[in-house]
Amino acid sequence: MNIDKILVSIFQRAFKSITDEMSISLTKTTRSPILCEAKDFVTGLYDAKGQMLEQTENLPILSFSLGPVCKVILEQYGNDIHEGDVIIHNDVFSMGNQNNDVAIFKPIFHKKILVGWSAAKGHQADIGGAVQGGYNPNATEVWQEAIRIPAVKLFEKGNLRKDVWNLIFANIRLQMVQEDIKAQIGACTLGERRLSAFVEKYGLEIFETHKQALFDSTEKMMRAEIKNIPNGVYEGKSMVYYDGKHIGSKFEIKSKITVKNEDIVFDFSKSSAQTKGFVNGTYTSSCSAITLTFLQMVNPNIPHNEGMIKPLKYIVPEGTILNASYPAATTFGNHLCPQIADSIFKALGPAVPERITAGWNHLLCSLFTGNHPRTGKKYVDICFLGLKGGSGAMKGDDGYDHIGMIDASGGVLDQDYEMYEQQTPHMILQHEYLCDSGGAGEWRGGLGTETKILLKGGDTTMVVFGDGDVETNYGLFGGKGSVLNKIELKYPSGKKLVPMSKDMIHGIPDNTVYYQVASGGGGFGNPKKRDKGKVKQDVKNEVVSKKSAKEKYGLKN
Amino acid sequence: MRYNLGIDIGGTFTDLICVSSEGKTIVHKTLSTPQDSSVGFINGISEVAEMAGEKFDKFISSIDTIVHGTTVATNALLTLKGAKTALITTKGFRDALEMRRGIREEQYNNHYKNVTPLAPRYLRFTIDERIDSEGKVVKKFDEKDLLPIIKKIKAEKVESIAICFMNSYKNNIHERKALAFLKKHLSPTPSGKVGLGPVFITASFEVLPSIRFYERVSTTAVSAFVGPIVANYFDNLIKKLENINYKGSLLIMQSNGGVVTPDVVKKTPAVTVLSGPAAAPTAGAFYSELLGYKNCITVDMGGTSFDAAIVIDNQCVTSTEGNINRYRIALPSLDIITIGAGGGSIGWINEGGLLQMGPQSAGAMPGPVCYDRGGNIPACTDADLILGYLNPDFFAGGKLKLNKPKAEKAIQTELAKKVGLSVLETAAGMFRIINSNMAQGVRQISVERGYDPREFLFIVAGGAGSIHSSEICKELEIPMFLVPNVSSIFCAAGMLLGDLKHDYIRSYFSSFNHLDKNKFISLFNEMKDEGTKTLLEEGVSKNKIEVTPILDMRYVGQYHEVQLQCDWNDVVNFKTENIFNAFHSEHNRQFGYSLKDEGTEMELINVRLRVIGKNEKPKFLSENTNRDSLKSALKEQRSVYIPETGKMEMVPIYDGDKNIFGAKITGPCVIEKITTSVFVSKNYDCVVDDFGSFIVYEREKFPEGFSINKKENVTQLSR
Repeated sequence: MNIDKILVSIFQRAFKSITDEMSISLTKTTRSPILCEAKDFVTGLYDAKGQMLEQTENLPILSFSLGPVCKVILEQYGNDIHEGDVIIHNDVFSMGNQNNDVAIFKPIFHKKILVGWSAAKGHQADIGGAVQGGYNPNATEVWQEAIRIPAVKLFEKGNLRKDVWNLIFANIRLQMVQEDIKAQIGACTLGERRLSAFVEKYGLEIFETHKQALFDSTEKMMRAEIKNIPNGVYEGKSMVYYDGKHIGSKFEIKSKITVKNEDIVFDFSKSSAQTKGFVNGTYTSSCSAITLTFLQMVNPNIPHNEGMIKPLKYIVPEGTILNASYPAATTFGNHLCPQIADSIFKALGPAVPERITAGWNHLLCSLFTGNHPRTGKKYVDICFLGLKGGSGAMKGDDGYDHIGMIDASGGVLDQDYEMYEQQTPHMILQHEYLCDSGGAGEWRGGLGTETKILLKGGDTTMVVFGDGDVETNYGLFGGKGSVLNKIELKYPSGKKLVPMSKDMIHGIPDNTVYYQVASGGGGFGNPKKRDKGKVKQDVKNEVVSKKSAKEKYGLKN
Repeated sequence: MRYNLGIDIGGTFTDLICVSSEGKTIVHKTLSTPQDSSVGFINGISEVAEMAGEKFDKFISSIDTIVHGTTVATNALLTLKGAKTALITTKGFRDALEMRRGIREEQYNNHYKNVTPLAPRYLRFTIDERIDSEGKVVKKFDEKDLLPIIKKIKAEKVESIAICFMNSYKNNIHERKALAFLKKHLSPTPSGKVGLGPVFITASFEVLPSIRFYERVSTTAVSAFVGPIVANYFDNLIKKLENINYKGSLLIMQSNGGVVTPDVVKKTPAVTVLSGPAAAPTAGAFYSELLGYKNCITVDMGGTSFDAAIVIDNQCVTSTEGNINRYRIALPSLDIITIGAGGGSIGWINEGGLLQMGPQSAGAMPGPVCYDRGGNIPACTDADLILGYLNPDFFAGGKLKLNKPKAEKAIQTELAKKVGLSVLETAAGMFRIINSNMAQGVRQISVERGYDPREFLFIVAGGAGSIHSSEICKELEIPMFLVPNVSSIFCAAGMLLGDLKHDYIRSYFSSFNHLDKNKFISLFNEMKDEGTKTLLEEGVSKNKIEVTPILDMRYVGQYHEVQLQCDWNDVVNFKTENIFNAFHSEHNRQFGYSLKDEGTEMELINVRLRVIGKNEKPKFLSENTNRDSLKSALKEQRSVYIPETGKMEMVPIYDGDKNIFGAKITGPCVIEKITTSVFVSKNYDCVVDDFGSFIVYEREKFPEGFSINKKENVTQLSR
């Protein structure tokens, strides 16, 4: 059959519009702020073999999180897949990426033949386990974190399996999660309708051949990008600090990247063994981190389909910190992304210095719960606005200020200050760029922030998780690092408390001041070479101090 | 004879429409004069006077109203050539404006930059004052703190100042004090830059007194940034109009689809940032009503962009989610989707070897290759020419000769050779891809908003749109589209149809269980009084004033609110049951479910009031009795690309400027007007209505033929 090249372009656009529409539907219909505000979800379309047709990952960390699950489902059910089935899945030991990230899959049929899948995966507000919300710094096994859901049918041939539904949700604390799962099923139904109408319009043969042509064209784009990287074996290393169990513990993330012509292999075999705590990755969370980092190094317009990932090979052996063996705790896994990115950037730096960035701000995050005296109700708040630091600079570009960790790359928004003061009892005292937080360099690191919040309401609980309080974000090619992440509580009594990077603090009294520094990004190139006009502008804008301008950038008076 | 004029100034052309008291319509396009657009404005009027056969002075004295749409504010934002702006805000919040809540729109692109802040950091000053979330003063404002800031503002020759304090939507006392003090100390001082007069000062409570600090600070900064330029523009224009002895009224198109007097615009200049495109849906509402429809989609395909908007129940849909050039403007504006697809959109081959169209554009200069002005990258217009839709000797009525061989050669070398297709196949591919891009834009404004585009009348404006419409409609299964008689100056026509409109907002954050009834009602009365006063000053008589209350509501626990339009009586009589029922059903319509049965509590965020002064609509669509036969309008037979067969076929070309009212034309054919071409494809037919508008419909969907009888249309469309 002849390929209509123009139709291939139209296919790509049509698939993208379907997954985008599924995402819009989810944003509007979900209730948990993690979904409707932070947009921690992904929507996608897959073909009958589980190959990605298109995907809208609202947070890049979900870039690899659906495809492997689709293949698991195909293997598990074989011929037992029918119109009207709805399959749910979160299990991290069968290709799930994080316990809280629950996926819904719906098969799509054309004249009784399976032609594809629509899927949506979102981070749920609760997933059972020992601690509400799923972040349990004390966990050592998966059951202390979550209920495991290996692929199971929620609907069979259009009929709700009430028993299965009840079993699952009997193990999850919040009613809201049921509503959000319904919203995910709704988004999949939307995708199902749109894709089956599309196959109907063009016929199965044209759909299959042109889909393949689209994969081929995308693969060609990706291979062209890889070809521009000189052949070689490149190695990089980054560190993870504190597993939540052993003070002073540290772990290595080691990458060995082999580029040969149009193929690239990411091998993380030499990374540390898995930890005893919850600071462990899963295969899919680690592959997502690898994928998103590499995508930031290539043409951003490459469509997101099977052709994009085909030239990429991943080696992430079981038993390492990036792919912990059953039944390890793994909830922190997504947050190993910054270290994985560091390790890749450092490895490929010498080969393609113009494509990599210096170190990004690592996540250090706090989550408050307590009672809101004005409403008399419980509130939960992840302090997004405080955690977002700067990105690393790259050749020709300063880093991006206050963008947050690389896993989100500017996809998670700050709470609005006035809404925040309505929805929590707290009062924001400061949220501003931190002077001198951008690592010095010919291209300066993105700025970090400092945040001060007056905690009100009394008896506040704070969960802390993250990193970046031991080692600064590195500079490259003569560029300097940034400052450290920091969280500090100043109690009304004058006592100060600096929590560990994985910690839980109870009973925080009224009028305690919460202080946080989210570090900036690392600088790139020798700061002395920075355009003096830019340095002067930074000084005028008070984001670089006169002292640094003189000492680091060599600005005279 | 009396006249009304609509004048729409765009980047390339200034569009004018003049309607006489007898219903005679004159449509005219003249070149814009970007250096001082008032020159083109006055030129246009004098040219129209000539066309009307009137002496200039007499014509001027016969004009009652001029309604004007301008891109002055839009361009200032797009090119960042606004005023040197300072921001004064609460201590601790110096950077909210620049941070934009920490978004990076392109997540995989590490070269992507943040926008340039409208007030740079060194001109963002903070004051140690604080109002808490309940409106209580926590730290008192001291005006002495402004003195060092004023000194710096003078030294830096700042031209405009925005003031925005935390929680001022609850209590604006500090903003008021700061505003008064700054005005006292800065107003008499010229800013130093020639022509810009005194420092422009605005505070957030004047612009957008509602909750959400980021939206408020950004909208206020936009207003300050464009303020001096907009004020200057209108001062100059009014002076020019005084010079020619104009005594009628001047009204300005706002982003919300309504019109206002220049005095109001000068106070809140941000209301004009979407002044131009806002008129299209306004005109769309009028045209669809003429044909008996309540709902329509308007599309406008220009040189670089394609705008799509929607009208529901004869009302233009507004949104407060607007951005221009990534600058957030939270004032109610018509909900318009803009994508990079136009006659100038260029074709290119991506790294995977696939043909792409736009969003980059060849612009007006050098423009598409066929313009023969030095452009060598093939654009959409080049494809349209090769496919036979455009007549090389009759583009803009023959004013611009199109060079077809050059277009063919460029497509051959730049595209066809690389994809391995013939020139014709490549041109057809360009045509299909840009149509598919535009169809996605229409999908965004309809399907993604919960509306089915097949239930809407599809109205096409702009010179190039009517060549591409049948393919856009086919993709979305829309059975018919309308090309209005004034399609080429559609926005100018819309300006004459706008009512005076003012939007007011007050934040009142409360669950309905704890709502203070009297406060709720008095907020509405307060806004109504303010609106009525403004409209009376604008010369609207009291019985022409209408109000529409809007509540921003949500279920407790939700993050995104719904803007619910209510009845005035329900609001002032506090009939909450009616309000709640309306909310449940609106939520259900938008999101597919409601929580009525669960008894979930609801909360209020903001109350809004739209105050409308109804305008007398000009009767500019007089029926024409003077008819030419279709045969007399036949110009030639030309080879044209037929998408249904994928081949070039000979089809008749008709002169659309003849008076062929009531004619039925069988597709395939092309109807050429000086300002536009309509392509009626093989599966379509066309009827010309009594006003000279073209209705193109899919033959199969209307087996009895299309009737212009209103009632039947509605049933035909819902079939």
